[in-house]
Amino acid sequence: MMGLTRRQLLAGTAAASAALTPFAATPVRAAAPVAGKQVPSFYRYKVGELECTSISDGARTFPMPDGFVRNVAKEQALAAAEAAYMPKGMVTVPFNPQVINTGSKLVLIDTGFGPTPNAPIGLLTTNMAAAGIDPKAIDIVVVSHLHPDHTNGIKGPDGALVFPNAEIKVPAVDWAFWMSDENMAKAPNKMMQDYFANTRKVYAGLMDKVTKYEWGKEVAPGITAIDAAGHTPGHTAFAVASGNARVLVQSDVTNIPELFLRNPDWHVAFDIDPQKAVETRRKFYDMAAAEKALVVGFHFTFPSIGYVEKDGSGYRLVPIAWNPVL
Amino acid sequence: MTEVTRRALLTGAAAAATLPLATGLPAEAAAPPAGAQAPGWYRYKVGSFEVTVVTDGMGRFKVPDNFVGNVSKEELGKALTAAYLPADSMATPYNPIVVNTGSKLVLIDTGTGEAAYAQSKGATGQLMTNLAAAGIDAKAIDAVIISHYHGDHVNGLLKADNSLAFPNAEILVPAAEHKFWMDDGEMSRAPAGRMEGLFKNNRRVFAGEVMKRLRTYEEGKEVVPGITAVGTHGHSAGHNSHIVASGSSKLYVQADVTHVPFLFVRNPGWHAMYDQDPAMAEATRRKVYDMLVAEKMLVQGFHYPFPSHAYVEKSGSGYREIPVPWNPTI
Repeated sequence: MMGLTRRQLLAGTAAASAALTPFAATPVRAAAPVAGKQVPSFYRYKVGELECTSISDGARTFPMPDGFVRNVAKEQALAAAEAAYMPKGMVTVPFNPQVINTGSKLVLIDTGFGPTPNAPIGLLTTNMAAAGIDPKAIDIVVVSHLHPDHTNGIKGPDGALVFPNAEIKVPAVDWAFWMSDENMAKAPNKMMQDYFANTRKVYAGLMDKVTKYEWGKEVAPGITAIDAAGHTPGHTAFAVASGNARVLVQSDVTNIPELFLRNPDWHVAFDIDPQKAVETRRKFYDMAAAEKALVVGFHFTFPSIGYVEKDGSGYRLVPIAWNPVL
Repeated sequence: MTEVTRRALLTGAAAAATLPLATGLPAEAAAPPAGAQAPGWYRYKVGSFEVTVVTDGMGRFKVPDNFVGNVSKEELGKALTAAYLPADSMATPYNPIVVNTGSKLVLIDTGTGEAAYAQSKGATGQLMTNLAAAGIDAKAIDAVIISHYHGDHVNGLLKADNSLAFPNAEILVPAAEHKFWMDDGEMSRAPAGRMEGLFKNNRRVFAGEVMKRLRTYEEGKEVVPGITAVGTHGHSAGHNSHIVASGSSKLYVQADVTHVPFLFVRNPGWHAMYDQDPAMAEATRRKVYDMLVAEKMLVQGFHYPFPSHAYVEKSGSGYREIPVPWNPTI
């Protein structure tokens, strides 16, 4: 009887009582066991000839830290989260890298956190495998900016490259900012100090191997880098286009839409130049709304694709209807 | 300088026309496109119950003239455009669910049927393939609960070869609904066209092996432990919704109290051509949605976009659904 748990005892009790009625007209039987497993979170969509796959790296739900929204009272930020049905006192942030098959290149935009023990994040490679995408087949990794949730996934826990055959492309302006010793010395707080340290750790051994890309140019066939500075100095959005079809990959022009699209003037703690980030956000979304552009948001709820409409002094995200066929 | 300009946003299309980047590498093809959508299922918990939404697909069709009986074609066109659809096109998703109550594995509604898969070239009739993808054995389903006798809810009881899709399941149907469609007098009075077709289809489906496993259930009572039937008549004579309850958690499985939310949740006064008694359907709709709003109860909508799980809020003269954020883990 060693190691018999309360659960086993209770299970045993149930089994015994079921076994007492073996000759009942309809046999008592338990349902199939609960699966306890979520569907692999990937979703495919076409942009003209391009096949895109939105792949979840996971989502974190955590107590909203003080200063999460810098320029409004915490109660106001919490009220907005609660109005969006987030658990009381908490905030949920999802992470959604994109894979784009241009026909000539298999491109990954942003990488997620990389494997993260005991956390519901770092799921990119697991979900990629479910989507039938081999990390070795990725030709180009494009990083929108050098924050950990966008760049750390380029390396595994052993420090080896996760996408060993990929050219790694980083925004030239962001690279210059984060790799400047002078900037690092001036880092105003712990968060920024950590980000500087993280960037150097992740890119150790890769300093001469990354390709720096410029705004206004293609980073891969059909994928053009757009200056969306503010969130970080070199923060980049992308226009993905084929034929007449086009989507905008907004990266972090807004953090979670429930707070920062509804309230575009709110400053998320991660915006390095909040004023410029607001300016970028409003310009980007005024245009996206006017043009009814389809927008992909790294921090939108999976599959993280939607239209954006003006709503009062802010905007509202209208998620696309899931298409059960490609 | 921030340079999010109109030109920058438009530039993608033009740039795409230019030659690929000169990389110095020989031109090579990327990995081949996958050409297939992700499996269409999604899980969440209601108390200790496990709910799996299993999509049957999405039907796309030109909007017929009388699609919304009490609204002009122009007004309908505007609402479709506002939902980012062409003004004359509909996209209707079909989303059955499986509830594992711990003691029973229960399917609520069955989709358009396996035969529809070939007819629609895979657009609908996906239930069996998506069930398999979710690791759910059709033979393990203990009970099938039917909300009402429309083809997109009952046809999936049968496979393409007309054998039982869920051979070990009891088939649980609303008593009032069954009575209506099996009544020869009602059938003889059915107007030609859609209603006549529905009677014929129901006599086809509810025959043979299906009838041997059929048991009617009463409104206001538990159909199986943890799942209670609620009479929500109007859409059809004996239309039922279901409340799934476990511990302190509740889910309102509305079936067709509304058809697609972007038309009929926004505009509860609109009468879809599928509503048998439009005035009663509207009264039911408003009562149910006022209750969902007041109770902040989660709704599972058969014709909501997958995974069709949402909160409901008042919005103007109607309501608005707020999809529950996708949870990448369970």
